[in-house]
Amino acid sequence: MNKLSNFRRLLSSVFIVPLVIGLLFSVFAFQSKAQDIDLLLKGGHVIDAKNNIDRKMDVAISAGKIFRVAADIPAGTAKKVVDVSGLIVAPGLINMHTHVYAGSNSGFTDGTSSQLPDAFAPRAGITTVVDAGTSGWRTFPDFKAKVIDNSTTRVLAFLSIAASGYSNDKAQENIAEMDVQKTAETINKYADNLVGVRIGRYDGTEWTPFDRASEAAKLVNKPLFVECHLPMYSLEDQLNKMRSGDIMTHAFENVSERMTVVDEQGKVRPFVLAAQKRGVLFDIGHGGGGFWFNQAVPSFKQGLWPNSFGTDEHRTSMNSGMKTMLNVMSKYLNMGMGIPDIIARGSWNAAKSIKRDDLGNLSVGSVADIAVLSVNTGKFGFVDSGNNKINGDRKFEAELTVRAGKIIWDLNGLSAKSMVANK
Amino acid sequence: MMRIKTTGISEFFQQQFIRLAQGIAAVLVLVLITATVQAQEIDILLKGGHVIDPKNNINSKMDVAIVGDKIFRIAADIPANTSKKTIDISGLYLTPGIIDMHAHVFHGADVNSISANSPGGLQADAFSFRAGVTTVVDAGSAGWRNFPLFKTQVIDRSQTRVLAFLNVVGRGMVTRYDQQDVTDMNPEMNAYMIKKLHPTILVGIKSAHYWGDFTSVDKAVESGKLANVPVIVDFGEHSPPNSIESLFMEHFRPGDIFTHTFSEHAISKTTGGRESIVDVKTRKVKPFVFAAQKRGIIFDVGHGAGAFNFNQAIPALKQGFMPNTISTDLYNLSMNAAMKDMTNVMSKFLAMGMGLQDVILRTTWNPAQVIKRPDLGHLTVGSEADIAVFNLKKGNFGYMDVGRTKISGTEKLEAELTLRAGRVVWDLNGISAPQWEMPAPNN
Repeated sequence: MNKLSNFRRLLSSVFIVPLVIGLLFSVFAFQSKAQDIDLLLKGGHVIDAKNNIDRKMDVAISAGKIFRVAADIPAGTAKKVVDVSGLIVAPGLINMHTHVYAGSNSGFTDGTSSQLPDAFAPRAGITTVVDAGTSGWRTFPDFKAKVIDNSTTRVLAFLSIAASGYSNDKAQENIAEMDVQKTAETINKYADNLVGVRIGRYDGTEWTPFDRASEAAKLVNKPLFVECHLPMYSLEDQLNKMRSGDIMTHAFENVSERMTVVDEQGKVRPFVLAAQKRGVLFDIGHGGGGFWFNQAVPSFKQGLWPNSFGTDEHRTSMNSGMKTMLNVMSKYLNMGMGIPDIIARGSWNAAKSIKRDDLGNLSVGSVADIAVLSVNTGKFGFVDSGNNKINGDRKFEAELTVRAGKIIWDLNGLSAKSMVANK
Repeated sequence: MMRIKTTGISEFFQQQFIRLAQGIAAVLVLVLITATVQAQEIDILLKGGHVIDPKNNINSKMDVAIVGDKIFRIAADIPANTSKKTIDISGLYLTPGIIDMHAHVFHGADVNSISANSPGGLQADAFSFRAGVTTVVDAGSAGWRNFPLFKTQVIDRSQTRVLAFLNVVGRGMVTRYDQQDVTDMNPEMNAYMIKKLHPTILVGIKSAHYWGDFTSVDKAVESGKLANVPVIVDFGEHSPPNSIESLFMEHFRPGDIFTHTFSEHAISKTTGGRESIVDVKTRKVKPFVFAAQKRGIIFDVGHGAGAFNFNQAIPALKQGFMPNTISTDLYNLSMNAAMKDMTNVMSKFLAMGMGLQDVILRTTWNPAQVIKRPDLGHLTVGSEADIAVFNLKKGNFGYMDVGRTKISGTEKLEAELTLRAGRVVWDLNGISAPQWEMPAPNN
């Protein structure tokens, strides 16, 4: 080797290699900065209960996932920027109690009493709905093929202990069909979709159906979801049989099928508070008949707060006092619950209760399911299942809903380009 | 019967007095009965609203009284004490229940179907009442073969009044391929289904998604002539696109309906498309379009997921071309996109400069006339009490078209209260509900 080549080698090592590396690095850095962020939600007030965030933050989304949450992410680093200042940026809401096995039959199971998830969820900031046992081990595959696999909304489900789900006929009360093994097997097989076991309608006195549902839930280590249509079981017995983490829905109902949580003196019954202390969770399950101010208001004042805002979405609840999950959340806003508490119950608390810690939060790397909400001010009224009204001055509205990074609802065209005049 | 009998004078006066007393008593009883009847006759009184009823030329503050399922009285000041229930709607607009003339509501479980017995068709009740709509007209989701299923599965189970255009194709709107099957376009069967079997539900014939010449339209018109009903045409997929001038002036009869009026498609060489009514270069409404509307051709909005562009609608409105009817084309792909619901589409026209009365006319009395249902879309005394009560919100709102282009507006309609056949079926803020108070402890 001669001196020249050595000199060249020196030159190359001193200048060219760092230059190339530097160039490569800067190109790479530029690329990662400018192109990694697909969508930047800028200037909103982020409420993320899991990560203890309750302040103005920007949220960056990349490849369907939360990429970064920080106080000031430059707009130039994103392919698309949406100004969400003045709005709440929350994890996509989770509706814990719905009936979405929509189909052609009468009734709920594969029926016209159920609702299509995409028809009500995106417009209410909801990105995940949990079906409350409209299917059972026999009907779940059909439910999955017809509804779950065809919905933009994420559809999870409690599996009914009744084989066919929530049908209108008496067959659902056939104990021989309430199969613990088949229920557990189905849940394990469809672990991505099924989050627990639901005990729904049973008119008899024996506890076998309840016990089997509870046993199946225990087998798969998931919660038991208890509905109210169990007229022969006392509320106290039901709560006593429930484990920590099991969920009592229709918490604030006032109908003949179940004892109320508030007694005649306006006090929450001590055994209800004891169950809550033990870890039993209470879901609203508003529905057409399941939410009464004479239960909910005293309960709220005495510390029995709902853990989740399930709407019990179905054909007859949708146009009643329930209307939308945001309407139900707004009831609590005007009853005195703070916005962070409401958002937590609409997202992170709900996710935890179904053991889906991957949902209901805005942690970096989580799926980018996001609700951008406005709090409108004005004169509003809210009606309960007894057609009684309370007044309010604030109401939630869904401005923008993002599911896995994709905008699936945009009320006022926040993400749209403006019309060019004179075109 | 005459009674001639001689009587004494005092007896005569006595009799006269008794008669007088009887008469007075009778009148008193009558007055009492009338008063009682008046006080109880009105079931619901909607008080203090601004009534817009284009058919009856009403555009002023009026009270509306309902008895049973019918409009009982409309007057400037109906006393509240004459009604069992009074709802204060001051500051709100009261209109006839809105008619959505283009929707797809043949909801069902066939995931391989576009909108016949399919999740692509939506449940009418989930979108109607919360948008002030009391009547939806399904635009050809079912044909004569599956209309009976549509009726039992959907129409008979809906609270919303569901009317329908029958698809010219017997199998209805199952796949794009089915829509091409001219052997399944049977005018006799179509007319039989409409005229003989379901004249109160079926209001016309739909032709859509056809790839060829005018055959589908002509078969629809032939069916329409036999049944004496209009046809509604989605002219979207002809390759190459057919002349809309020929459609309006040669193939259509007056009263036939062109839907997706403001769509602007890039015409594809392979899949064709729809010729637009506004020239894409000059941005002028094509002259024959005005002539066609004058001839009686009906122009329907049919917003949908792909059929409403500001580049068409704004120049058209500016040049004096107004659609006859405003409708949603509600289906699974349009519901969460720019369309959203009927109030959003109506508000979009407000934002483009159309007056509120014009918007209400095009969503009530106009569609009622187009579908030959003069019993609907107005508040005439004696007609069914289908009523919408709107709040006209003020603020900054955005409205998109299908290309995700946005215009801003300062007003937005919101459905406060909807009544279907005299019954409250939607009450956004509980204006018809009593105030809740914490019950006293029961010791």
